[in-house]
Amino acid sequence: MEPGVLIQILVWGLYAGCIYILLAIGLNLIFGVMKVVNFAHGELLMLGAYATFWIYTLSGVNPYLIIALAMIILGIIGVFIERLCFRPIKGTGKLNEIFLSLGLIYLFQNLAALLWTTDSRSIHSPYSNVSVSVGSVRLPLDYIIIILFTIVFLIAFQLFMKRTTIGRAMRATSQNRDAAALMGINVERMDMLSFALGSALAAAAGSLWLISGQIVDPYMGSIPAIKAFAVVIIGGLGSIPGAIVAGLTLGIAENVVPLFMQSFAGLLGVSMSFTAWKDTIAFFILIIVLVIRPTGIFGEKGE
Amino acid sequence: MKLVRMNMNMNMKTWTGIISLILAFLIPLIFGINQYLLTVLIIMLVFIIYSSAWNLLALSGQASLGHAAFFGIGGYVSAIVANTLGMPPIAAIPVGGLFAAFIGVLIGLTCIRMREWFLAMVTFGFAIIAHTITTELSWLTGGWDGIPAKRLIPVTITNYIMYEYYVILLIAVAVVVIIYLITKSRVGLALQAIRENELEAKVMGINVIKYKLMAFAVSAFFTGIAGALEIHHFGYITPEVYGMDISFWPILYSISGGLFTVSGPILGTIVITFIWEVLRAFGLMYERFILIGVILVLIVIFLPKGLVSVPEKIKSRLQL
Repeated sequence: MEPGVLIQILVWGLYAGCIYILLAIGLNLIFGVMKVVNFAHGELLMLGAYATFWIYTLSGVNPYLIIALAMIILGIIGVFIERLCFRPIKGTGKLNEIFLSLGLIYLFQNLAALLWTTDSRSIHSPYSNVSVSVGSVRLPLDYIIIILFTIVFLIAFQLFMKRTTIGRAMRATSQNRDAAALMGINVERMDMLSFALGSALAAAAGSLWLISGQIVDPYMGSIPAIKAFAVVIIGGLGSIPGAIVAGLTLGIAENVVPLFMQSFAGLLGVSMSFTAWKDTIAFFILIIVLVIRPTGIFGEKGE
Repeated sequence: MKLVRMNMNMNMKTWTGIISLILAFLIPLIFGINQYLLTVLIIMLVFIIYSSAWNLLALSGQASLGHAAFFGIGGYVSAIVANTLGMPPIAAIPVGGLFAAFIGVLIGLTCIRMREWFLAMVTFGFAIIAHTITTELSWLTGGWDGIPAKRLIPVTITNYIMYEYYVILLIAVAVVVIIYLITKSRVGLALQAIRENELEAKVMGINVIKYKLMAFAVSAFFTGIAGALEIHHFGYITPEVYGMDISFWPILYSISGGLFTVSGPILGTIVITFIWEVLRAFGLMYERFILIGVILVLIVIFLPKGLVSVPEKIKSRLQL
């Protein structure tokens, strides 16, 4: 395999990994502070994508700039979800949280189907025809922008969590809720904020997904969400560095493994395409990890 | 005095059950051979079986979000077996159920050490894996296009829909009774103990692994049967049977009716099916789904014990 193809696959993998990382960090944030796994996270991604799509279709503004707006919109939606749905059932058991999320999934998916029909949508980024040459390979500019955006974001996020008061308040709440409350932190507000931030991140992931040319329909959220769960679990619930490592690994593995399998099968004289299995790689890795270590690789104890 | 009250309560519930059963048997005679009505009722009965089976697994604390996998596997295996071995659907359906039970045990094994969220995610993933495997094995399963399945009662027989209805009604009653007996038995108690606190259950000497797997096997078996019944009713099966919404229906039905109870899934299925069909009459397509989602959210927040808890709530309100 020529190095050019390898670089291409690597960049593909990095780009996908970045989207998963953004989703996974949101999930980790929500779980860390609220101790709740938001199953409807994929739908937040979907809504974020639709928000960007809609605003772009109406205004024609550079979609990259719309992302900020989409993030704010979803952040507000996130606040509503937290206050109206998750807060009332706090403490009633994990099964209830799962079922509530299911209801939300139904709601959002069909709301989107109602508003925008089930037809697939996509937009063209203004840079969709631009590619950057690295050696012998041409890489789409969009992918590079997304990777850079994610790097910038991760740095900003780290600074936020470590240096700002709010960031540290959130970390305190996730480490020990009671102690944080005793120190005067408004833990309910932290809940709200974490959900809002998590939703905003999902919106960013969804918007980037859309801008990079992927197809968007009301049901697109579940597969990226499951992969984000896989990333979170493999990296360890609540661990940001774990999410980053796992996200990149998954993104790259997804693109590399089917090719390996194909070459392997080719060696055996079998001509098969394994691309259909791309989405299931995340599950297989997830299942293997969970069977070996039910709390994830970098996981904290007590899930 | 207290003993008498308890007996009266039990009679109330059993009487409701008996009366509704009699009504169910009389429906074709009352309403005539109404194709639409009987079809709706048949699907409802299939989902009563399906929801009750899911509920049984949830009883052990294992809330599966991918039960469509068993539903679809039961359907496909039954259809394939009936087609290739020339068996009548009645004989093929249990085979579908057994194969689904086998897969259920395998999935249960992988999930044995997992907590609720992880189990939910993994089972969700299994439904997708089942979907992918089915579409990839297109030489066997017809791939994306699916395969035809023999009808339960051949269409050529007059009033076939009525016979189908009665057969499925009988099967549904049998399944519900079996699940009732399991729930009320020591097995059922063990499952509930496991759900409430796995560690304590183990300390009490309950073989957690055995019971968890048993729950998976039984639940998958009946779900597979439900799936087989449904596709032999339709006459066709496609990979859509593994869809997320198929996984969600039993959860919705069980929660609205009353999670962990035996009558809950039945009541929930009936009520929601009724609402569903009424909404269809108004021509609302996506609004129905949105409403269902809202109902689910509202029930989880305000009525977590489901509709079956409403009579008790009214009673306690009245007594106060």
